[in-house]
Amino acid sequence: MLFSYEWLQSFFKKKLPAPEKLAEILTLHSFEVEEIKKNRNDLVFDLDITANRAADCFSHIGIARECAALVNLKLQIPDCKIKEGKEEIKNFIKAEVKDKKDCLRYTGRVIKGIKVKESPKHIKDRLKSCGLDPINNIVDAANYVMLEFGQPLHVFDLDKIGDSKIIVRRARNNEKIETLDDKAYKLDESILVIADSKKPLAIAGMKGGKGSAIDSKTKNIFLESANFDPLLIRKTSKKLALKTDASFRFEHGMDSNMTEIAVDRLANLINELAGGEIAKHRVDIFSGKTPFKKIKLDLRQAEKLLGIKISKNEVIKILKSLGFEIDSSLQVKVPSNRPDIKENYDLIEEIGRIYGYEKIKPVFPILELMPAHKNERIVWKKRAKNILTTSGFFEVYNYSFISKKAGDYLNSNLVELENPFSEQFYYLRPNLLINLLDNISHKENYSQRKEKIQIFELGTVFKEKASKIEEKKMLAGVIFGDTNDFYILKGVIDNLLNGLGISDIFYDNFEATPDDSQKALWNLNKSAEIKINGKEIGFLGELSSRVLSVLGVKISVVAFEIDFDKLIKFCSEEQEYLAISKFPSAVRDVAILLPSRVRVADVLNIINITGGDLIQDVDLFDIYEGGKLAEGRKSLAFHIVFQSQDKTLSGKEIDKLFQKIIKALEENADWEVRK
Amino acid sequence: MDIKEIKNSAETEIKSAQNIAGFKEIFQKYLGKKGEITQVLRSLKNLSEKERKIKAKAVNELKKDLLIKIEKGKKKFQGKEVDSSKDWIDITAPGKRLSPGHLHPITQVKEEIEDIFERLGFSVIEGPEVETEKYNFDALNIPKNHPARDAWDTFWLKTTEKEKDKLLLRTHTSPVQIRYMEKYNPPLRIVVPGRVFRYEATDASHEINFYQIEGLIVDKEINVAHFKAIMGKFLEMFFKEPVKIRLRPSYFPFTEPSFEIDMKCLVCKGKGCSVCSKRGWLEMMGAGMVHREIFKVVKLNPKNWQGFAFGLGLDRLTMMKYKINDVRLLYRGDLKFLEQF
Repeated sequence: MLFSYEWLQSFFKKKLPAPEKLAEILTLHSFEVEEIKKNRNDLVFDLDITANRAADCFSHIGIARECAALVNLKLQIPDCKIKEGKEEIKNFIKAEVKDKKDCLRYTGRVIKGIKVKESPKHIKDRLKSCGLDPINNIVDAANYVMLEFGQPLHVFDLDKIGDSKIIVRRARNNEKIETLDDKAYKLDESILVIADSKKPLAIAGMKGGKGSAIDSKTKNIFLESANFDPLLIRKTSKKLALKTDASFRFEHGMDSNMTEIAVDRLANLINELAGGEIAKHRVDIFSGKTPFKKIKLDLRQAEKLLGIKISKNEVIKILKSLGFEIDSSLQVKVPSNRPDIKENYDLIEEIGRIYGYEKIKPVFPILELMPAHKNERIVWKKRAKNILTTSGFFEVYNYSFISKKAGDYLNSNLVELENPFSEQFYYLRPNLLINLLDNISHKENYSQRKEKIQIFELGTVFKEKASKIEEKKMLAGVIFGDTNDFYILKGVIDNLLNGLGISDIFYDNFEATPDDSQKALWNLNKSAEIKINGKEIGFLGELSSRVLSVLGVKISVVAFEIDFDKLIKFCSEEQEYLAISKFPSAVRDVAILLPSRVRVADVLNIINITGGDLIQDVDLFDIYEGGKLAEGRKSLAFHIVFQSQDKTLSGKEIDKLFQKIIKALEENADWEVRK
Repeated sequence: MDIKEIKNSAETEIKSAQNIAGFKEIFQKYLGKKGEITQVLRSLKNLSEKERKIKAKAVNELKKDLLIKIEKGKKKFQGKEVDSSKDWIDITAPGKRLSPGHLHPITQVKEEIEDIFERLGFSVIEGPEVETEKYNFDALNIPKNHPARDAWDTFWLKTTEKEKDKLLLRTHTSPVQIRYMEKYNPPLRIVVPGRVFRYEATDASHEINFYQIEGLIVDKEINVAHFKAIMGKFLEMFFKEPVKIRLRPSYFPFTEPSFEIDMKCLVCKGKGCSVCSKRGWLEMMGAGMVHREIFKVVKLNPKNWQGFAFGLGLDRLTMMKYKINDVRLLYRGDLKFLEQF
């Protein structure tokens, strides 16, 4: 909000500190001065007034009061004593408020015989400093007093008010109004209007209507100074997508005691600028004055919270300078323009900031020794990320949203937003893979990069299940650029899981589950379920060509996605040492010809089961297909390492066991051990 | 054999030796286990005491002398030996790098901050990203339809069922404070890192998702002076140099008094530069003493407990640390950006 330095100065006889200095003082004790701008001969402060201080500080007097408290000067408030004429207001206008909940107070005055013209220069300059365009002396005066006292004001042409009657009521459905800026609004029952006997004259607290506007011929005027329900104004502002200086103030809550002061000040100013005679008395419809709040200040609590001692005299001085009444027993009377001050704590904040937080010296607390609790999830997250980066993966952070296009393709259990940001950020991401694929299709990454790309992300995904939102932490990665991608990534997963202390890993055929969202993602012939202790924790494999084409990726991509919270249940720091055998090992090689579709795991199983404890390791060292081999056949070659924990195995023993294994392998039709 | 003969032949051989291996041979021949001098020394025991004394002295002197000469001779060849061999490598050729991966810069900053706070005795806690209106706003003393809520532009979720409590993407990590205090009794010290969301136009300093770390300490007598000390310590540990901080009054519905914490610009030391937009100070975090309404929500008596809370933007800290000028770079997955960290 903009404040004129020259205007602020006008409330003091003595000089304020220089603008830069004053800005620093305000920043450290009241509100941040975001910028100091020049406007002709004036300097303008752009102050970030906090929402709790609207009632007093959305005004020059409010800021001047802060200055008074901070630099110890006496504040001079403009005279609001009024010279009234003889004729009474009731002869010119009658006002009625339909519901006092909508309009807490409605105050008005009438001036007869004014002359509309241009405002004097000093009024125009101050308005311009605060970002308002001067219009004519009547409208300018209303804006001027609003900037001065904070109270929004409106002036009607009295002669344009039908039947001399003002009614504050809800609009009728489909009632229309054309406002001062030539815009037409369709109203309804949720909107409050100021009307005459027939039609709406203004949208209450928002904007005046064209029909009752001041023009060059206006002679007699009605000044409105009201206090509307903040919530109602806020809703209207949202509904009409209209925000004005008035509505902004009203929705923050104004001081209802201010209406009479402001309307008198306005009447005086208009009288000064445009002549005329002020009718006797005000219109004032009011359910009762806001009572003053009384708080007993607890100085001990202030010391306990701020961590410093401030003398009683200092505290009394601070609160008085801010407009509070306080006696020696520390009984505080809160002015009505400080609705933010409700209890002792609020007063402590006032004392603290005016006294100055810079005077509080830092002190380390004496606290119970309470070691930080180790968060397992954070520990494993860190470890998993380190293993993946060591394997050459780049960590990416993607948006928590996916595009409408990608979402519509997946089309299951998506979480939708009431207010999606754009087509690109439309649904909440149901997996991490969509955005990882998007990273790959990125021009910079894909076309210009020669080496293989390996990226991963650890993040949250969202699904809707039985109208509940399920939020999960996932760990996912993609890799492309190498013919052996699947096996490379499988190796990475083995390393990852081993590094997290997990050994019972098994890769199983993809099986349909009730949650078929996975089906849309993976190429089922080239994908596996990752299992630990027989429980599925994620998937590994090639992504389906359909999802790739939807996302515009033109190459095949291998990926994994692991449910991180499931995973950490298996993570373990514990490890047990396995005795290294003192006895020598012996190696025998075996090569088997078998149908292409036979899985390595099945062959390994037979070898391990037949060999039993004496097999120390089986290592696949060659897979061969094509060439001289018949179609549909492949050759697998293994090193089998024999070793015993308790003795040296003789050649005879080993050969006997090896033959047993060969026999077991050959029991399968179509399997042929090459000799 | 005569000592003199041994001496002569040994010295001749030393002179004609061509490499280190040659000297090793000479050592073996004369001074090794079965060496000539060794044998002479062994034979001394058969002599009379007088003879033994004389001969022993001479042999020992020769032994000493030869050892020195062999060592000297070896030295001449050391160094030269490498040159002359074909077995060498060019140690100036570039090393072969394993292509390592990279942790995202926010991860690095986040882990560092978590580590600092853990060292200061704060536990690291996480919470959900989808929140209810109650936890994100109501419980934090931000009433419905209050203009204060405008400070948090919110993503609302569409749900099929009519929920009593509307769902949203959390706009700050503060709801975790409430969830934690509902579960655990004070005294407590926690920090909460996590992703938060704001529905607002994006530019170089605004994103629709970003990271915050929030801290909370609740104890019997925690006050503003303590707060200043702890925050100063944290910033000093993070920036690894002494820092100067100041508190400015601010307003958050969930703290009172509320502050913004500024740190004197480390680049210009407060004179004003491009890093601090000529202000001399950098805005680091929002903070304040826990509001009594918050204690009431979690059923703690505000008369018995005091505390402070603070929140800072991890993206901003990351950008400051690495001099990144556009927050959007952090979420774009551009490998050329990521490989720099």
